[in-house]
Amino acid sequence: MAEVDDSRKPMFAGLSDVSISADIPVEGEINVPVGTPSQDDEYSTLDEPVKDTILRDLTAVGKKFVHVMYPKKSSALLRDWDLWGPLLLCVTLALMLQGNSVDSKEEGGPQFAEVFVIIWFGSVIITLNSKLLGGTISFFQSLCVLGYCIMPLTVAMVVCRLVLLGGSGTVSFIIRLVVVTASFSWSTFASTAFLVDSQPPNRKALVVYPVFLFYFVIGWMVLTFSPSA
Amino acid sequence: MKQVIDDTEDVELDFGNEDEAQSLRRAWIPHPLASFLHLFFRVAAIVTYLICDWFSKSFTSCFIIIITLLCCDFWSVKNVTGRILVGLRWWNQINDDGRSLWLFEARKMSSQGGTEVEAKIFWLGLIMCPVIWTGFFFTSLFSLKIHWLVLVLAGVTLQLANLYGYLRCKAGGLEFPATSSFMQGHQFLQRPDVIYGVL
Repeated sequence: MAEVDDSRKPMFAGLSDVSISADIPVEGEINVPVGTPSQDDEYSTLDEPVKDTILRDLTAVGKKFVHVMYPKKSSALLRDWDLWGPLLLCVTLALMLQGNSVDSKEEGGPQFAEVFVIIWFGSVIITLNSKLLGGTISFFQSLCVLGYCIMPLTVAMVVCRLVLLGGSGTVSFIIRLVVVTASFSWSTFASTAFLVDSQPPNRKALVVYPVFLFYFVIGWMVLTFSPSA
Repeated sequence: MKQVIDDTEDVELDFGNEDEAQSLRRAWIPHPLASFLHLFFRVAAIVTYLICDWFSKSFTSCFIIIITLLCCDFWSVKNVTGRILVGLRWWNQINDDGRSLWLFEARKMSSQGGTEVEAKIFWLGLIMCPVIWTGFFFTSLFSLKIHWLVLVLAGVTLQLANLYGYLRCKAGGLEFPATSSFMQGHQFLQRPDVIYGVL
């Protein structure tokens, strides 16, 4: 009520000489409309529509693929990690590395699972290694980075398969060697750009070396792939 | 004219009965699609694992189908059916200072949430399937089918992750006000019906 009087004083200043009995009760309500802030609708994700969830996750995955193509210093790959991209790349690479032996069930089995095991087990080992060396990056962030940086090697695999369609002589081998070497260097460079900052300075080489080995093994599998016609 | 009025007066409209049946169904299972999907992916993955040897000789296609079903199940249970059926959701986020936090949000009142039936469906599906996949782990280990072991391990990991996350959500974890320093960089407005906490 005191606020009501205060706010009315300037307005009715001209009436100050009018005497009003102090006994008159001034009643009433002041309703200040509290505008619901627009943020009220977001950020409890409990109520968001399912389409929003799907779109949000898909754009996050897409953005990370773009970040691997142009590995600048950005925190998007690290901050919002997800493992969908690595899974997709792993499955694609394993499918392409299978060869044409789809008809014989014994051939296809171990090779497919082998690629899975190498990629995921290898990533886990590298992550453990970097954490034991005192890195500040979290387990899943590291898995995310290593997985997404397999993308250049997957692209190289596609190119190699296309080149092999044209024959498997010396020329095609040289082309494939160049492509695989380029993509392997790109993968290693991209992942170290993201991973190396979180390491103590005198341990950087110790962290880069297993990553180098990891992509080398994958590159080797890509290079030595030959379809059994 | 009088006849028309009589006709309209005599007509009985049965809207009440239809509404009753529908509202009864809605009182039991307000979100039938979410409940169905919650169970569908998990059960389909288990069934495919059991019968795929009869249908297809190709290990690769079975593997891919089961992995796809398991991933769809993981994503939908984590992001969609959890919050629709029981009002819980858990996730991980990295702070500006690089700390990794596992957080959850829980709805206090189940005004929009599921009913008891849906909660039972949710928890039953969530608990039984990891148990079944663990059983598969032992059967494939002892029968020495190593390439199936990779698939079973993936299944066990994904299903146990969801189970663990939701159990921690349910247990309440550590609550904290939304304006604390944990939430730097992410605006979480304080809503009276939602609890945020750390797993």
